[in-house]
Amino acid sequence: MTTASRGGDRTEGEIDLRAEMLAAAHSLNGPASPSGPSTTSDLSIDEELILHSIGWEPVELVCGMSLHAVPMGVWNWGQGEISYASDAYQRSFAKATDRIHRECAKAGGHGVVGVHVEWAVHRHHIDVTLTGTAVRPVGSKRVTAESVFVSDLSGRDFTLLHTAGWAPLGLAAGASFVYAPRRSLGTTMKQKGVNVELTNFTEAMYSARESAMERMQRSALDLGGSGVVEVKVTEGPMDFARHAVCFMAYGTVVHLVADEHQRMQPTVVLPLDDAVLSFDATSLRGS
Amino acid sequence: MADQPTDLPEGASRRLAELEGGLFTSDLSVNEFLLIKEVGFHPLGFVMGSSIYHTGIQTRKWGQSQELTKLTGAMYEARELAMTRMEEEADELGADGVVGVRLDVNYYEWGKDAAEFIAVGTAVKAENGVSHRNKLGKPFTSDLSGQDFWTLMQTGYIPQGLVMGTCVYHIAHRGLGQTLGSAGQNVELPNFTQALYEARELAMTRMQDESNQLGASGIVGVRLEEKSHQWGSHTIEFLSLGTAVVKTSDEVTLPRPTTIISLDN
Amino acid sequence: MDELPGDLPEAAGRRFAEGSFTSGLSVPDFAACLQMGLEPAGYVQGFCVMQWRWYGMGMSFGAFGPTGRANGQGYSEAWQCPHGYVSAEHRGWGQNYEQTWIEDAWREGFSSSYERMLEEARTLGAHGIVGVVDASSPLGDLGLLEFRVQGTAVRVIDGPPPIGDRPWTTYLAGQRLGKLIEAGYAPVSVAAAISSVRVWANCITEYLTEGSTTNWGQVAGAEIEQTAKAHMAVRRIARERVRAALGGDSLHGASLATTERELGQGDAELQCILRGNQVRRFKDFDPLAAPRPTVRLS
Repeated sequence: MTTASRGGDRTEGEIDLRAEMLAAAHSLNGPASPSGPSTTSDLSIDEELILHSIGWEPVELVCGMSLHAVPMGVWNWGQGEISYASDAYQRSFAKATDRIHRECAKAGGHGVVGVHVEWAVHRHHIDVTLTGTAVRPVGSKRVTAESVFVSDLSGRDFTLLHTAGWAPLGLAAGASFVYAPRRSLGTTMKQKGVNVELTNFTEAMYSARESAMERMQRSALDLGGSGVVEVKVTEGPMDFARHAVCFMAYGTVVHLVADEHQRMQPTVVLPLDDAVLSFDATSLRGS
Repeated sequence: MADQPTDLPEGASRRLAELEGGLFTSDLSVNEFLLIKEVGFHPLGFVMGSSIYHTGIQTRKWGQSQELTKLTGAMYEARELAMTRMEEEADELGADGVVGVRLDVNYYEWGKDAAEFIAVGTAVKAENGVSHRNKLGKPFTSDLSGQDFWTLMQTGYIPQGLVMGTCVYHIAHRGLGQTLGSAGQNVELPNFTQALYEARELAMTRMQDESNQLGASGIVGVRLEEKSHQWGSHTIEFLSLGTAVVKTSDEVTLPRPTTIISLDN
Repeated sequence: MDELPGDLPEAAGRRFAEGSFTSGLSVPDFAACLQMGLEPAGYVQGFCVMQWRWYGMGMSFGAFGPTGRANGQGYSEAWQCPHGYVSAEHRGWGQNYEQTWIEDAWREGFSSSYERMLEEARTLGAHGIVGVVDASSPLGDLGLLEFRVQGTAVRVIDGPPPIGDRPWTTYLAGQRLGKLIEAGYAPVSVAAAISSVRVWANCITEYLTEGSTTNWGQVAGAEIEQTAKAHMAVRRIARERVRAALGGDSLHGASLATTERELGQGDAELQCILRGNQVRRFKDFDPLAAPRPTVRLS
């Protein structure tokens, strides 16, 4: 586990928390002296401090949402890919991204971090909602909506990559919906009691999974990135139609902005907090 | 680049071609990504393999504890197919190995006797061009996380492959006489003890056999999983998994750790 | 403490008279508060029960509704049907509108319970309230909504009494509050606002939401624009409401929770609650050194 501990020991510039608290209390009794326009953010204070350490600041809480219709009858049993659903998903994602880009640029942000990607497949529509905090380098000018980046990296991960010389470009997502193949009665009889691979099933599911990943890769290439990190893959049947299965993959597209990857050379630490390591007899690994 | 994979679906080849063109994908966290780079490896792409396998019923004697060899064979074969396809994808990319391998089993709407076995991971390659493939000339597989991979590489050992052993065991139902005899007492049940002992030993031995085939020095990160899947509570699959490693150097470059006491909970 | 201030129940008076304090703080949070020079004074709470009906309030529109806004204020967007007159059942008219009466009622419920919590804190001579928790929940099937706000009242050792006799409040407690202070921010108040938007679907929205494929000109797989706009509006309104109350202060650690209730035939009711900590800079921006990465051998 990599953790980011506050730089060095606390000996240099040791903070007297009591004095700080007193100063804070006194300041509240005076008028509000705005040191800039008010910001709204859903970052934790830890994330904000880490962003500050590379000279970035939060600006505003922004979001983008879209939903596209899926016509009736699409979920009835069929064969192969359910392209209506895959298209609806793709378009909702694109439109939601477009809207959050515009909100971000309007607020003066250069990109959005810590995006929560929420998506829901209903019988007749597929919704995608993106929520995050727009951030920018302190004191920088506005940028256009097209050049804004959106990423689900936390403030912390954004900072780590930045230090290593990488920058996010946007979110890449791909989805494919497929009908689970039906077995005909004839084959059922033959295969009962025999252990074999079901090749046409395998082919269908494998292809659908690859499709979702491939669409994600395609959108990453369209953004001009060199890689996608923190890819999340989810798959599962639809609640309302259990024979229809969805494969979804998304991640943050990144590219190298420095000349080469900057190594971090982490310090290895051995924490002494757990005085007694409990021995768990049911697992072969001491945890 | 290795031989053309014959077993992968068409969609896979298209996707892998894009990855060969220079794009990388990985499901590693940012932490893991940075640590992999630290030891001189670069991610190539997300690789996967899957197989939908019919796990047929095998007749068993109600009153006897025994291994259900047909089921063992099926569970093993299914995972092997999934893993092999994942290795083929990695091979196609010219990878040295796959890290963070996850093996999952999914059940869908096609009946309880069939399941989909999936193996996924991130293919990686050494940046200095030196081959780190295993003794069989194939990319190594391992279920090590990025952090564990970083640590292992600095101890002079490198991974060879994810090794597994499985055993599907049927536990005898206890006869009425036996049940009445020990009712209300806290006693050892020798049938059960024997059954579970044997099953676990079989699983671990098979795992070790695989490791020996790879010419490994040992196995790290071993874990034992026990699941009943869809067979009811008297039939359990014992799956033993670990990463086989081989020693390549006596030099341990892992820096000495600083001891810290952190006061947050 | 002879008289009970405001409208607090008698039991509250007894509880405060006892002298020892109860606090909702965990042990680490308690220790962190003492480190900061905050002395817990007692557990404080405020409640308010409002009569509540989510829908059925406000005006409804038939197929030939007026073009005016629902009650003359708030967000509203009309969605004309492109077909001209078809039939009495055809929804020739649709509208998204902000349900300001719900928003106002929620604000009343929240601020009543909040003010009562502040009153309790004042009787303890508290300067602030930390670890605030707030919730609104329906009471059974009675058509009632209860608002609850609770927290731990604290005194700043050697600190000044709060201006206007209004203690400052924050959702944070313990270590996280300490970090906020270290970062140069003073807690001002918890901030919470609700926005509520009703979607009266027009024909196109209704058909798309129901998955209908009849040919009324809707394109299969199109965006359900009316609903999407309502979603964007409900989130925007919640943020605007909170912003309007900030003054020059900022909102930290916000959480935006949106719920949707589908009412059939494409109609829906959307609701968004934004919560966060209103904070104020009391120190100039002083960036930290870059953190040092470590790998933990566990």
